[in-house]
Amino acid sequence: MAEQAIKIDGVTKRYGEFVAVDDVNLEINKGEFFSLLGPSGCGKTTTLRMLAGFEVPTEGRILLEGEPVEKVPPHKRNVNMVFQSYALFEHLDVEGNVAFGLKRKKTPKAEIQTRVADALELVDLSSRAKSRAGELSGGQRQRVALARALVNRPQVLLLDEPLGALDLKLRRQMQIELKQIQREVGITFVYVTHDQEEALSMSDRIAVMSDGRVVQCGAPEEIYEHPSEEFVAGFIGISNLLQGKAEGQGRVRVGGNSLPVPDLPSDFRTGDPVQIAVRPEKVAVDEIGNDNEKIQPGMFTVDGEIESMVYLGVGNQLTLKLASGGRLVALEQATYRVQSDDQWQVGQQVRVGWHPEHCMVLS
Amino acid sequence: MNAHRFWNWFLAPGTLWILVLFAAPLLLIFALSFGHVDDFGRGVYGFKLGNYDDVFNSTYLPVLLRSVGYALATMLICLAIGYPVAYYIARFGGRWRYVLLAALVIPFFVNYLVRTYAWVALLADEGLVNNAIVDLGLSDAPVQMINTPWAVIGGLVYGYIIFMILPLYGSIERMDQSVVEAGKDLYGSPLQTFIHVTIPATQAGILAGCVLVFLPSVGDFVSAQLLGGPDTYMVGNLIQDQFFAASNWPFGAALTMIMMLFLSVWMVLYLRRAAKGEAEVL
Repeated sequence: MAEQAIKIDGVTKRYGEFVAVDDVNLEINKGEFFSLLGPSGCGKTTTLRMLAGFEVPTEGRILLEGEPVEKVPPHKRNVNMVFQSYALFEHLDVEGNVAFGLKRKKTPKAEIQTRVADALELVDLSSRAKSRAGELSGGQRQRVALARALVNRPQVLLLDEPLGALDLKLRRQMQIELKQIQREVGITFVYVTHDQEEALSMSDRIAVMSDGRVVQCGAPEEIYEHPSEEFVAGFIGISNLLQGKAEGQGRVRVGGNSLPVPDLPSDFRTGDPVQIAVRPEKVAVDEIGNDNEKIQPGMFTVDGEIESMVYLGVGNQLTLKLASGGRLVALEQATYRVQSDDQWQVGQQVRVGWHPEHCMVLS
Repeated sequence: MNAHRFWNWFLAPGTLWILVLFAAPLLLIFALSFGHVDDFGRGVYGFKLGNYDDVFNSTYLPVLLRSVGYALATMLICLAIGYPVAYYIARFGGRWRYVLLAALVIPFFVNYLVRTYAWVALLADEGLVNNAIVDLGLSDAPVQMINTPWAVIGGLVYGYIIFMILPLYGSIERMDQSVVEAGKDLYGSPLQTFIHVTIPATQAGILAGCVLVFLPSVGDFVSAQLLGGPDTYMVGNLIQDQFFAASNWPFGAALTMIMMLFLSVWMVLYLRRAAKGEAEVL
């Protein structure tokens, strides 16, 4: 059992009538890369700011390695934050920014020098040590903010959408670097983001938040493959949501079709409403009468018509109108297509199928 | 090209105004500062450097130094009073901030001379404050408040503090609040964060406020004339006397030139610093 870095115990934050964070309970392990994921206004940043000490919980406790800290002011907490705007000190050079925390802690000069040099090495900025903050690019500013926090060797590093201001390519690169740095230093990271892809690719565990509550907490695969409710399924990637009624023997009636749903819990009785979801990339599309190419044996199949098609580069996103009513979105990888003119036509009749085990039951 | 030339004509009225009403009188004063006084007490153009020698002789030098001293004291007091006020309005004013700013600015629509007379009514030996002190039995005789250096400096602080508060308000309001949080997050106590983060982040406003208060304070003559006495004579009073009471225009002109030179040096230093600060932000 891993050691616990943070325990958030029944924490609620109210601003007057408004409940920003509503009875959140989380345990974060030492050395973990933990993400708080959700749309804006879901309470993820408020939760992070309570961990930093900028906000005091209205109710509940926050334990940092077992010590209650919810009323400790930020400058007395051994946690550091990477701000969304980076919040660099413009009047200082890169070194001055990174050394700021160590100086306030009255660290000996020689030690400050070596630790600042090491931190700059870690983020690959040794050559810009004497530059003013204003002379740096966005990516470099982001690294300074990271080095400035990490140099203090905090118990927990808090990151508030640190990559939000960077362009897509730089963001991808920094995601990989951040993850590498986290492995190297072994410090617990608590990462706030609204970007589900970012959270899935970097985190050890994710807590999905909505309206101040944690709706699901688990490993990325678990959250993606087994979303607990419609909100999670919809927020983490696109999902096809199908409303149906339980039929018994692991089958659900949707429109005119009876779908096999092996995951259906046994406490659903015949006639109970059931909501199921299928990920677009699990949906195979093929020409009718060509069943052995992409539609594999054991798949559940229905017929439909291609309603619209969006070219995504890595593949096509097809919206399909089912013969039995309802719509499905399918994501088709470009690897299936050999020639560029080998394209689907809007209005074409197709057969659609998926493996029954890819049907997710939402509570 | 033609369009460019066309727009140049819009500068003409302003240029004419500056030339006729500012540059030309300044040149006349400059020329007069080398002149002398004739038998009837009129200024006559000529060439002698003696007026400039007189500025720095032992009679007048203390007046110059006193002016600079009063202006420095005024500047520091304005900063000490103005910073908390500007900080409070910018950070905690909320929806009242423009009302609070207006409340500060509106008194300055009243003429400076009139406002200074109000202080005379308050601080005079038979003034409101002294009457209250005597009536309350705090002192048997009126406390001398008028005709002291502090009355003059007080008048200057009151007269110019708005020029400190407004630039400070601007820079505090523009400051990224997360920078202050970063200071606290990096183990800075509230005081350390203020010294090491907030003050450097608002230094442009501090600098602008100090210059805007210092420069007019050095040349001020109203406060010293109404609230001061012979011992609080400032260079502004000296210049005024040369042009009116003493009727020595050439000497007054020389004093004016020296003071303008002194103030210009500060102004240039400030502008260079401000330009550098702007370059850093970009």
